[in-house]
Amino acid sequence: MLTFLALASVVLLGIVPEQSQAIVIYTGWERHALVGSDIRLSCSFFSWRWTSEDVTFSWTYRPDGSRDSISIFHYTGGAAYVDNKGPFRDRLEFVGNPSRRDGSILIKNLEFSDNGTFTCDAKNPPDIVGRPSSVRLLVFEKVPIQAGVITGAIIGVVLGLLVLIVVIYYLMRFLVARRVFSLSVSKHGKKKKEGSQQRQGPVPPADPSKVAASAVTRG
Amino acid sequence: MMEELHLKRQTAVKHTVIMLILLGAIFALHIIGIILLLVATIDNAWWMTDTISTDVWARWILQNGKWNYTDLPEGSHYPQDYLQAVQASSVLACIFSILGIFVFVAQLFTLNKGQRFTISGIFQFLACLCIMIAASIYTDIFHRNEANGWYGHCFILAWIAFALTFISSITYFVLRKKTA
Repeated sequence: MLTFLALASVVLLGIVPEQSQAIVIYTGWERHALVGSDIRLSCSFFSWRWTSEDVTFSWTYRPDGSRDSISIFHYTGGAAYVDNKGPFRDRLEFVGNPSRRDGSILIKNLEFSDNGTFTCDAKNPPDIVGRPSSVRLLVFEKVPIQAGVITGAIIGVVLGLLVLIVVIYYLMRFLVARRVFSLSVSKHGKKKKEGSQQRQGPVPPADPSKVAASAVTRG
Repeated sequence: MMEELHLKRQTAVKHTVIMLILLGAIFALHIIGIILLLVATIDNAWWMTDTISTDVWARWILQNGKWNYTDLPEGSHYPQDYLQAVQASSVLACIFSILGIFVFVAQLFTLNKGQRFTISGIFQFLACLCIMIAASIYTDIFHRNEANGWYGHCFILAWIAFALTFISSITYFVLRKKTA
Protein backbone atom coordinates (compact mmCIF):
# COMPACT_ATOMS: atom_id res chain seq x y z
CA MET A 1 0.00 0.00 0.00
CA LEU A 2 2.70 2.45 1.04
CA THR A 3 4.99 1.53 -1.83
CA PHE A 4 2.09 1.97 -4.24
CA LEU A 5 1.46 5.46 -2.85
CA ALA A 6 5.15 6.35 -3.05
CA LEU A 7 5.41 5.20 -6.65
CA ALA A 8 2.24 7.06 -7.57
CA SER A 9 3.44 10.30 -5.97
CA VAL A 10 6.80 10.08 -7.75
CA VAL A 11 5.08 9.52 -11.07
CA LEU A 12 2.62 12.33 -10.47
CA LEU A 13 5.33 14.76 -9.37
CA GLY A 14 7.27 13.80 -12.40
CA ILE A 15 4.30 14.36 -14.71
CA VAL A 16 2.78 17.48 -13.20
CA PRO A 17 5.50 20.03 -14.03
CA GLU A 18 5.64 18.79 -17.60
CA GLN A 19 2.00 19.40 -18.30
CA SER A 20 1.20 22.56 -16.38
CA GLN A 21 4.36 24.55 -16.88
CA ALA A 22 2.88 27.92 -16.33
CA ILE A 23 4.59 31.22 -16.76
CA VAL A 24 4.44 33.40 -13.62
CA ILE A 25 4.45 37.13 -14.14
CA TYR A 26 5.61 39.58 -11.47
CA THR A 27 4.82 43.25 -11.25
CA GLY A 28 4.46 45.48 -8.22
CA TRP A 29 1.19 45.66 -6.33
CA GLU A 30 0.84 49.42 -6.06
CA ARG A 31 2.99 52.36 -7.07
CA HIS A 32 2.86 55.90 -5.72
CA ALA A 33 4.22 58.90 -7.63
CA LEU A 34 4.03 62.68 -7.69
CA VAL A 35 2.43 64.73 -10.46
CA GLY A 36 5.00 65.68 -13.06
CA SER A 37 7.49 63.00 -12.12
CA ASP A 38 8.48 59.82 -13.96
CA ILE A 39 7.66 56.31 -12.88
CA ARG A 40 9.10 52.97 -13.93
CA LEU A 41 6.65 50.08 -13.96
CA SER A 42 8.52 46.83 -13.72
CA CYS A 43 7.42 43.51 -15.15
CA SER A 44 9.28 40.26 -14.98
CA PHE A 45 8.39 36.61 -15.37
CA PHE A 46 9.42 33.17 -14.25
CA SER A 47 9.40 30.29 -16.69
CA TRP A 48 10.83 26.77 -16.66
CA ARG A 49 11.98 27.17 -20.21
CA TRP A 50 14.84 29.16 -21.59
CA THR A 51 13.98 32.65 -22.75
CA SER A 52 13.00 32.20 -26.36
CA GLU A 53 13.58 34.68 -29.14
CA ASP A 54 9.84 35.05 -29.62
CA VAL A 55 9.26 36.32 -26.10
CA THR A 56 6.53 38.96 -25.99
CA PHE A 57 5.56 41.61 -23.44
CA SER A 58 2.39 43.66 -23.59
CA TRP A 59 1.04 46.30 -21.26
CA THR A 60 -2.58 47.40 -21.05
CA TYR A 61 -4.04 50.28 -19.10
CA ARG A 62 -7.42 50.58 -17.44
CA PRO A 63 -8.22 54.02 -15.98
CA ASP A 64 -9.73 54.28 -12.52
CA GLY A 65 -13.47 53.95 -12.69
CA SER A 66 -13.50 52.66 -16.25
CA ARG A 67 -14.26 49.15 -17.41
CA ASP A 68 -12.31 49.19 -20.67
CA SER A 69 -8.65 48.44 -21.08
CA ILE A 70 -6.52 49.97 -23.74
CA SER A 71 -3.32 48.43 -25.00
CA ILE A 72 -0.37 50.75 -24.64
CA PHE A 73 2.77 48.70 -25.24
CA HIS A 74 3.78 45.59 -27.11
CA TYR A 75 7.17 43.96 -27.57
CA THR A 76 7.50 41.20 -30.10
CA GLY A 77 10.02 39.86 -32.53
CA GLY A 78 12.80 41.87 -30.99
CA ALA A 79 11.04 45.23 -31.51
CA ALA A 80 9.17 47.42 -29.04
CA TYR A 81 5.97 49.23 -30.07
CA VAL A 82 4.89 52.10 -27.79
CA ASP A 83 1.64 53.98 -27.63
CA ASN A 84 1.48 56.68 -30.32
CA LYS A 85 -2.23 57.50 -30.31
CA GLY A 86 -3.54 56.92 -26.83
CA PRO A 87 -3.20 58.74 -23.52
CA PHE A 88 0.49 57.96 -23.23
CA ARG A 89 1.74 59.11 -26.62
CA ASP A 90 5.21 60.61 -26.44
CA ARG A 91 5.37 59.77 -22.73
CA LEU A 92 6.07 56.06 -22.84
CA GLU A 93 9.48 54.46 -23.15
CA PHE A 94 10.64 50.88 -23.05
CA VAL A 95 13.44 50.43 -20.53
CA GLY A 96 13.36 46.69 -20.14
CA ASN A 97 15.73 43.95 -21.23
CA PRO A 98 13.82 41.06 -22.77
CA SER A 99 16.78 38.72 -22.79
CA ARG A 100 16.90 39.14 -19.02
CA ARG A 101 13.14 38.67 -18.77
CA ASP A 102 12.57 42.33 -17.92
CA GLY A 103 9.72 44.10 -19.63
CA SER A 104 9.62 47.38 -17.73
CA ILE A 105 8.27 50.61 -19.12
CA LEU A 106 8.87 54.21 -18.13
CA ILE A 107 6.05 56.76 -18.06
CA LYS A 108 7.21 60.36 -18.04
CA ASN A 109 5.54 63.53 -16.78
CA LEU A 110 2.68 61.93 -14.89
CA GLU A 111 -0.76 63.50 -14.84
CA PHE A 112 -3.74 62.97 -12.61
CA SER A 113 -5.53 61.15 -15.43
CA ASP A 114 -2.86 58.42 -15.26
CA ASN A 115 -4.40 56.98 -12.13
CA GLY A 116 -5.39 53.43 -12.92
CA THR A 117 -4.38 49.81 -13.26
CA PHE A 118 -1.57 48.67 -15.56
CA THR A 119 -1.52 45.02 -16.57
CA CYS A 120 1.55 43.22 -17.89
CA ASP A 121 1.21 40.07 -19.92
CA ALA A 122 4.34 38.16 -20.91
CA LYS A 123 4.59 35.08 -23.11
CA ASN A 124 7.59 32.84 -23.52
CA PRO A 125 6.76 30.36 -26.30
CA PRO A 126 6.02 27.51 -25.86
CA ASP A 127 5.27 28.61 -22.30
CA ILE A 128 2.22 30.69 -22.88
CA VAL A 129 -0.21 29.70 -20.17
CA GLY A 130 -0.10 32.26 -17.44
CA ARG A 131 -2.06 34.89 -15.60
CA PRO A 132 -1.28 38.55 -16.34
CA SER A 133 -0.28 40.61 -13.35
CA SER A 134 -1.53 44.10 -12.52
CA VAL A 135 0.00 47.08 -10.77
CA ARG A 136 -2.05 50.00 -9.52
CA LEU A 137 -0.69 53.51 -10.06
CA LEU A 138 -1.60 56.32 -7.65
CA VAL A 139 -0.62 59.88 -8.57
CA PHE A 140 -0.31 62.42 -5.76
CA GLU A 141 0.07 66.14 -5.70
CA LYS A 142 2.95 67.54 -3.69
CA VAL A 143 1.84 68.71 -0.27
CA PRO A 144 3.64 71.83 0.91
CA ILE A 145 4.72 72.25 4.52
CA GLN A 146 1.82 72.73 6.88
CA ALA A 147 1.64 75.32 9.59
CA GLY A 148 1.46 72.66 12.27
CA VAL A 149 4.82 71.26 11.24
CA ILE A 150 6.51 74.66 11.55
CA THR A 151 4.93 75.35 14.94
CA GLY A 152 5.84 71.90 16.15
CA ALA A 153 9.42 72.33 14.99
CA ILE A 154 9.81 75.67 16.79
CA ILE A 155 8.27 74.36 20.01
CA GLY A 156 10.35 71.19 19.83
CA VAL A 157 13.63 73.04 19.38
CA VAL A 158 12.82 75.48 22.16
CA LEU A 159 11.91 72.74 24.61
CA GLY A 160 14.95 70.73 23.65
CA LEU A 161 17.28 73.67 24.20
CA LEU A 162 15.59 74.50 27.51
CA VAL A 163 16.08 70.96 28.73
CA LEU A 164 19.69 71.14 27.60
CA ILE A 165 20.27 74.43 29.44
CA VAL A 166 18.69 73.09 32.64
CA VAL A 167 20.76 69.92 32.45
CA ILE A 168 23.95 71.89 31.93
CA TYR A 169 23.06 74.21 34.81
CA TYR A 170 22.53 71.32 37.24
CA LEU A 171 25.63 69.62 35.94
CA MET A 172 27.59 72.78 36.70
CA ARG A 173 26.15 72.88 40.22
CA PHE A 174 27.01 69.23 40.72
CA LEU A 175 30.57 69.87 39.65
CA VAL A 176 30.65 72.93 41.89
CA ALA A 177 29.79 70.72 44.85
CA ARG A 178 32.97 68.83 44.06
CA ARG A 179 34.95 72.09 43.93
CA VAL A 180 36.02 71.76 40.35
CA PHE A 181 34.95 75.30 39.31
CA SER A 182 36.16 77.85 41.84
CA LEU A 183 34.33 80.72 40.08
CA SER A 184 30.92 79.32 40.89
CA VAL A 185 32.07 78.45 44.41
CA SER A 186 32.98 82.08 45.16
CA LYS A 187 29.62 83.25 43.78
CA HIS A 188 27.83 80.76 45.97
CA GLY A 189 29.89 81.90 48.96
CA LYS A 190 28.83 85.50 48.33
CA LYS A 191 25.18 84.48 48.05
CA LYS A 192 25.29 82.66 51.36
CA LYS A 193 26.89 85.71 52.96
CA GLU A 194 24.13 87.98 51.62
CA GLY A 195 21.43 85.57 52.71
CA SER A 196 22.38 85.05 56.33
CA GLN A 197 24.71 87.41 58.16
CA GLN A 198 25.42 85.03 61.04
CA ARG A 199 26.95 82.07 59.26
CA GLN A 200 30.53 83.07 58.74
CA GLY A 201 31.64 79.44 58.54
CA PRO A 202 32.41 78.70 54.91
CA VAL A 203 33.64 82.20 53.97
CA PRO A 204 36.48 83.15 56.43
CA PRO A 205 39.39 81.20 54.90
CA ALA A 206 39.50 83.83 52.17
CA ASP A 207 41.92 82.41 49.64
CA PRO A 208 43.65 84.98 47.51
CA SER A 209 42.58 82.99 44.43
CA LYS A 210 38.94 83.20 45.42
CA VAL A 211 39.15 86.91 46.04
CA ALA A 212 40.81 87.42 42.68
CA ALA A 213 38.16 85.27 40.97
CA SER A 214 35.30 87.21 42.58
CA ALA A 215 36.96 90.47 41.51
CA VAL A 216 37.02 89.14 37.94
CA THR A 217 33.29 88.28 38.00
CA ARG A 218 32.32 91.69 39.34
CA GLY A 219 34.40 93.50 36.76
CA MET B 1 10.30 110.40 64.06
CA MET B 2 7.13 108.49 63.32
CA GLU B 3 6.38 110.73 60.35
CA GLU B 4 9.84 110.07 58.98
CA LEU B 5 9.36 106.34 59.24
CA HIS B 6 5.89 106.60 57.69
CA LEU B 7 7.26 108.64 54.78
CA LYS B 8 10.09 106.16 54.27
CA ARG B 9 7.64 103.27 54.13
CA GLN B 10 5.42 105.12 51.66
CA THR B 11 8.31 105.78 49.30
CA ALA B 12 9.44 102.16 49.67
CA VAL B 13 5.98 100.94 48.71
CA LYS B 14 5.83 103.36 45.78
CA HIS B 15 9.25 102.18 44.71
CA THR B 16 8.17 98.54 44.75
CA VAL B 17 5.04 99.33 42.78
CA ILE B 18 7.05 101.19 40.16
CA MET B 19 9.49 98.29 39.97
CA LEU B 20 6.66 95.84 39.47
CA ILE B 21 5.05 97.95 36.76
CA LEU B 22 8.37 98.28 34.99
CA LEU B 23 8.95 94.56 35.22
CA GLY B 24 5.47 93.90 33.87
CA ALA B 25 6.01 96.30 30.99
CA ILE B 26 9.33 94.73 30.01
CA PHE B 27 7.82 91.26 30.25
CA ALA B 28 4.83 92.33 28.15
CA LEU B 29 7.10 93.90 25.53
CA HIS B 30 9.06 90.68 25.21
CA ILE B 31 5.92 88.54 25.01
CA ILE B 32 4.40 90.79 22.34
CA GLY B 33 7.65 90.52 20.39
CA ILE B 34 7.43 86.72 20.57
CA ILE B 35 3.81 86.70 19.42
CA LEU B 36 4.54 88.97 16.47
CA LEU B 37 7.51 86.83 15.46
CA LEU B 38 5.46 83.65 15.62
CA VAL B 39 2.63 85.10 13.55
CA ALA B 40 5.04 86.48 10.96
CA THR B 41 6.84 83.14 10.66
CA ILE B 42 3.95 80.69 10.63
CA ASP B 43 1.21 82.51 8.74
CA ASN B 44 1.41 82.65 4.96
CA ALA B 45 0.83 86.29 4.15
CA TRP B 46 4.01 88.18 3.27
CA TRP B 47 2.78 89.19 -0.19
CA MET B 48 -0.84 89.42 -1.26
CA THR B 49 -2.82 90.15 -4.38
CA ASP B 50 -6.55 89.87 -5.02
CA THR B 51 -6.35 86.13 -5.57
CA ILE B 52 -3.23 84.92 -3.85
CA SER B 53 -1.73 85.14 -0.39
CA THR B 54 1.80 83.90 -0.51
CA ASP B 55 4.68 83.54 1.81
CA VAL B 56 7.82 81.70 2.73
CA TRP B 57 6.12 78.33 3.24
CA ALA B 58 3.24 77.94 0.78
CA ARG B 59 0.71 79.83 -1.30
CA TRP B 60 -3.00 80.26 -0.93
CA ILE B 61 -4.74 80.62 -4.29
CA LEU B 62 -8.39 81.65 -4.63
CA GLN B 63 -9.99 79.37 -7.24
CA ASN B 64 -13.72 79.28 -7.88
CA GLY B 65 -14.45 80.89 -4.56
CA LYS B 66 -12.30 78.45 -2.59
CA TRP B 67 -8.86 78.99 -1.15
CA ASN B 68 -6.43 76.24 -2.15
CA TYR B 69 -3.20 75.53 -0.34
CA THR B 70 -0.55 75.06 -3.00
CA ASP B 71 3.19 74.92 -3.36
CA LEU B 72 5.38 77.94 -4.05
CA PRO B 73 6.53 78.31 -7.66
CA GLU B 74 10.07 77.39 -8.50
CA GLY B 75 12.22 79.29 -10.90
CA SER B 76 14.66 82.12 -11.36
CA HIS B 77 12.22 84.69 -10.00
CA TYR B 78 11.73 82.61 -6.86
CA PRO B 79 15.22 81.50 -5.84
CA GLN B 80 15.09 78.50 -3.55
CA ASP B 81 18.22 79.31 -1.58
CA TYR B 82 17.05 82.79 -0.60
CA LEU B 83 13.65 81.38 0.30
CA GLN B 84 15.26 78.85 2.61
CA ALA B 85 17.40 81.61 4.12
CA VAL B 86 14.28 83.61 4.95
CA GLN B 87 12.58 80.53 6.40
CA ALA B 88 15.59 79.57 8.50
CA SER B 89 16.31 83.02 9.91
CA SER B 90 12.70 83.74 10.82
CA VAL B 91 12.44 80.41 12.64
CA LEU B 92 15.73 81.14 14.41
CA ALA B 93 14.41 84.54 15.48
CA CYS B 94 11.38 82.88 17.10
CA ILE B 95 13.55 80.35 18.88
CA PHE B 96 15.97 82.97 20.23
CA SER B 97 13.16 85.16 21.47
CA ILE B 98 11.34 82.33 23.26
CA LEU B 99 14.56 81.14 24.85
CA GLY B 100 15.23 84.74 25.85
CA ILE B 101 12.05 85.03 27.89
CA PHE B 102 12.93 81.90 29.83
CA VAL B 103 16.46 83.15 30.38
CA PHE B 104 15.07 86.49 31.58
CA VAL B 105 12.85 84.80 34.16
CA ALA B 106 15.77 82.67 35.31
CA GLN B 107 18.03 85.70 35.58
CA LEU B 108 15.39 87.51 37.62
CA PHE B 109 15.87 84.97 40.37
CA THR B 110 19.56 84.22 40.10
CA LEU B 111 21.19 87.57 39.41
CA ASN B 112 22.94 89.50 42.12
CA LYS B 113 21.83 93.01 42.96
CA GLY B 114 23.21 95.64 40.63
CA GLN B 115 24.01 93.28 37.78
CA ARG B 116 22.63 93.65 34.28
CA PHE B 117 20.50 91.22 32.31
CA THR B 118 23.13 90.76 29.66
CA ILE B 119 22.35 87.20 28.60
CA SER B 120 18.66 87.97 28.06
CA GLY B 121 19.72 91.03 26.12
CA ILE B 122 22.02 88.91 23.97
CA PHE B 123 19.22 86.47 23.12
CA GLN B 124 16.83 89.29 22.21
CA PHE B 125 19.54 90.96 20.14
CA LEU B 126 20.17 87.74 18.24
CA ALA B 127 16.43 87.44 17.59
CA CYS B 128 16.40 91.03 16.35
CA LEU B 129 19.33 90.31 14.04
CA CYS B 130 17.74 87.18 12.62
CA ILE B 131 14.39 88.72 11.85
CA MET B 132 16.16 91.69 10.29
CA ILE B 133 18.06 89.33 8.02
CA ALA B 134 14.86 87.51 7.07
CA ALA B 135 12.85 90.64 6.34
CA SER B 136 15.71 92.29 4.45
CA ILE B 137 16.29 89.32 2.20
CA TYR B 138 12.58 89.06 1.48
CA THR B 139 12.30 92.76 0.70
CA ASP B 140 15.27 92.76 -1.62
CA ILE B 141 14.83 89.52 -3.53
CA PHE B 142 11.15 88.64 -3.85
CA HIS B 143 8.38 90.43 -5.71
CA ARG B 144 10.66 93.26 -6.83
CA ASN B 145 8.98 93.93 -10.16
CA GLU B 146 5.40 92.95 -9.43
CA ALA B 147 3.16 95.97 -9.63
CA ASN B 148 -0.18 94.40 -8.70
CA GLY B 149 0.00 93.32 -5.15
CA TRP B 150 0.95 94.60 -1.75
CA TYR B 151 2.91 93.45 1.28
CA GLY B 152 0.75 91.40 3.63
CA HIS B 153 0.41 91.55 7.38
CA CYS B 154 3.18 89.04 8.07
CA PHE B 155 5.74 91.24 6.35
CA ILE B 156 4.65 94.29 8.35
CA LEU B 157 4.63 92.31 11.59
CA ALA B 158 8.15 91.06 10.86
CA TRP B 159 9.48 94.61 10.69
CA ILE B 160 7.52 95.68 13.77
CA ALA B 161 8.92 92.66 15.61
CA PHE B 162 12.39 93.78 14.58
CA ALA B 163 11.80 97.16 16.21
CA LEU B 164 10.28 95.67 19.37
CA THR B 165 13.04 93.12 19.87
CA PHE B 166 15.63 95.84 19.35
CA ILE B 167 14.06 98.05 22.02
CA SER B 168 13.73 95.02 24.28
CA SER B 169 17.37 94.06 23.95
CA ILE B 170 18.51 97.63 24.64
CA THR B 171 16.33 97.61 27.75
CA TYR B 172 17.94 94.41 28.98
CA PHE B 173 21.41 95.77 28.37
CA VAL B 174 20.67 98.96 30.32
CA LEU B 175 18.53 97.63 33.15
CA ARG B 176 20.08 96.75 36.48
CA LYS B 177 18.61 94.44 39.04
CA LYS B 178 17.38 96.66 41.83
CA THR B 179 15.97 94.35 44.48
CA ALA B 180 17.44 91.05 45.64
